[in-house]
Amino acid sequence: MKKGLVKLLALLLVLAVATPLVAQVGKSSKPSKDWKIALVPKDSTNAWFVRMEVGVKQYAKDTGLNAFQKGPAKTDAAMQAQVIQDLIAQGVDAICVVPVDPAALEPVLGEALKKGIVVVTHEASFQENTMYDIEAFNNADYGAFIMDNLAKAMGQKGLYTTMVGHVTNASHNEWADGGVAHQKATYPGMTLLAAEPRVESEDNLEKAYERAKELFKKYPNLKGIMGTSSKDAPGVARAIEEMGLKGKVFVSGTGLPNENKTFLKDGTLAAATLWDPKDAGYALCSLATKILKGEPIADGLNLKLKGYESMHFAPGSKKVLLGSGWIVIDKKNVDSFGF
Amino acid sequence: MSDNSTATAAPRIAVPRDRNILRLSIFLAAVFLLMTALRPSIFLMPSNFNSMMRQFPEYGIMAIGISLTMITGGMDLAVVGTANLSAIIAAKFLLAEVPRGAPPEQALPMIIVAVLLALICGLACGAFSGFLIARMRIPAILATLGTQQLFTGIAIVITNGRPQSRLPLLYSQIGNTELWDFIPLPFVIFCAVAIIIGLALSKTRFGPKLYMLGTNAKAARFAGLNNEGILVRTYMISGFLSSIAGLIMMARANSAKADYGASYTMQCILIAVLGGVDPNGGFGKIGGVTIAILILQVLSSGLNMFENVSNFYRDVIWGGVLIIVLVINLVVDGKARRNGARA
Repeated sequence: MKKGLVKLLALLLVLAVATPLVAQVGKSSKPSKDWKIALVPKDSTNAWFVRMEVGVKQYAKDTGLNAFQKGPAKTDAAMQAQVIQDLIAQGVDAICVVPVDPAALEPVLGEALKKGIVVVTHEASFQENTMYDIEAFNNADYGAFIMDNLAKAMGQKGLYTTMVGHVTNASHNEWADGGVAHQKATYPGMTLLAAEPRVESEDNLEKAYERAKELFKKYPNLKGIMGTSSKDAPGVARAIEEMGLKGKVFVSGTGLPNENKTFLKDGTLAAATLWDPKDAGYALCSLATKILKGEPIADGLNLKLKGYESMHFAPGSKKVLLGSGWIVIDKKNVDSFGF
Repeated sequence: MSDNSTATAAPRIAVPRDRNILRLSIFLAAVFLLMTALRPSIFLMPSNFNSMMRQFPEYGIMAIGISLTMITGGMDLAVVGTANLSAIIAAKFLLAEVPRGAPPEQALPMIIVAVLLALICGLACGAFSGFLIARMRIPAILATLGTQQLFTGIAIVITNGRPQSRLPLLYSQIGNTELWDFIPLPFVIFCAVAIIIGLALSKTRFGPKLYMLGTNAKAARFAGLNNEGILVRTYMISGFLSSIAGLIMMARANSAKADYGASYTMQCILIAVLGGVDPNGGFGKIGGVTIAILILQVLSSGLNMFENVSNFYRDVIWGGVLIIVLVINLVVDGKARRNGARA
């Protein structure tokens, strides 16, 4: 008897925790002027997230709502969880997060949801404890797009490998997977480096540069690197330039205009691809506001922002919303972005 | 410090340094009042205190470990590496032994074994660092720089750098238990650690040995102390405390990864120095370290209350606080010494 009861309780416990927590949270009963919408980036000092903050401030200015960015001083999952913990304690109404490591944030985001705080994420398509995850685009398509750029530069043949910020970063790996799949389908003349098909740059320019130098020395046949983190392409480009390999090996990948300006202008880097973090920041706040207002979130969602006017759910998902916000940066338009 | 000054050195340093705890308390009160004055509606909310109590145990326990090694005149840069390796071993064990959705009565014994494994791992890591320092006579800062790399490296190799997530829910439920819905279990563990280590330093024979070794190793040896044994034991304690911190981090993140809390090492050293631990060894009190931990947490959570102050400034503020405290110590103690103020 007693054992049965314990089992039943255990089952209930498991069910209670396993049940998605998204059901009732959302619409806020407070007047909108009292709302606090916080965006937590991976780190406050990275140029990418400095640009994102521009979008958050723009949103606050456009709407008069209290939206702000608050992130850890370093890219560290433990520190990011602490910032979120504090924000929950301070009673914010919505938390928008770009997770350093989605797995490490599950408990703290689950707690936020339980307390009725709106949680939306970006670059975390597998996050469980989130109401919606915004991706600027379909990750596989963006990966294919980076691959197109690399293939063009490499003349559609030769050995290449992929670089990601961390092998734990969901988006980077989906792009890399999408790129590899696209290469296999479209560019038979290219081969993936089997010994090291995926290397890590740790989202760090210096590390990307070091890794690229190592790779080019170790594998003289290596002709291209597909970058994903915004630090990959400029780091690899620096290695190419220093080793005098310009025109022999190639790189493509995500990149901020200013960080890549010299490489784009002198041709070391043919084209960088990007979505504008400013728009992503703006879109996250806009989506959080819609949820706070209690507006329905449905396929075709319009966040009133270019690239995010008609967002669609990823196939088979009710959480991941995809936009069409990618852009190409080359030597012609690099000066036009202002960041 | 020359060898023959040792006999008088301990009391001369100890008297003015005791005031350090008073000064730190005043500093803590000042920071606390400042935050209260600036954001009374947020800072004084019970949830804010709950949030702080949940944040500092993991690095606070590591800071106590580092402090002990600094009292011996050493340093333990391997605390974070030890914490993550211990947590990963526990996580790997749990993932292998507890099927997903296993009932609590099946999971609980395995969780106990996993915790024991992690603690043993911490002790072993500490013993290894201690061996390198005490027997191989490698300077502590270099030895533990090496072991930090080694432990992190092992952690990366056995996990491929991936987070070990989807642990049994029971583990994080236990780890995140709150007594009376307010006092988090990690905070209770922190208090226990601080009290036990504090008592060990002040009430047992281990304490004076540690201070003596840190003040002058040569004199300690001539006085008949087993320096090597004490050093190895100190690093084992530090490793043990690190593995506790690792287990807390694992409960908070419901996962373990090789690079969690990578920024904690510097933070812990900062806390130890702020708390009045002499980096040259021979002095330091757990009370001071604990107050330093609280100061940093109040500053950190306080800073998160200001929407327009970027966390970019956190390092600037922490560094500033550290330098202010060090300068005050130097000025006040220097004056006291010049005036011949001795108890």
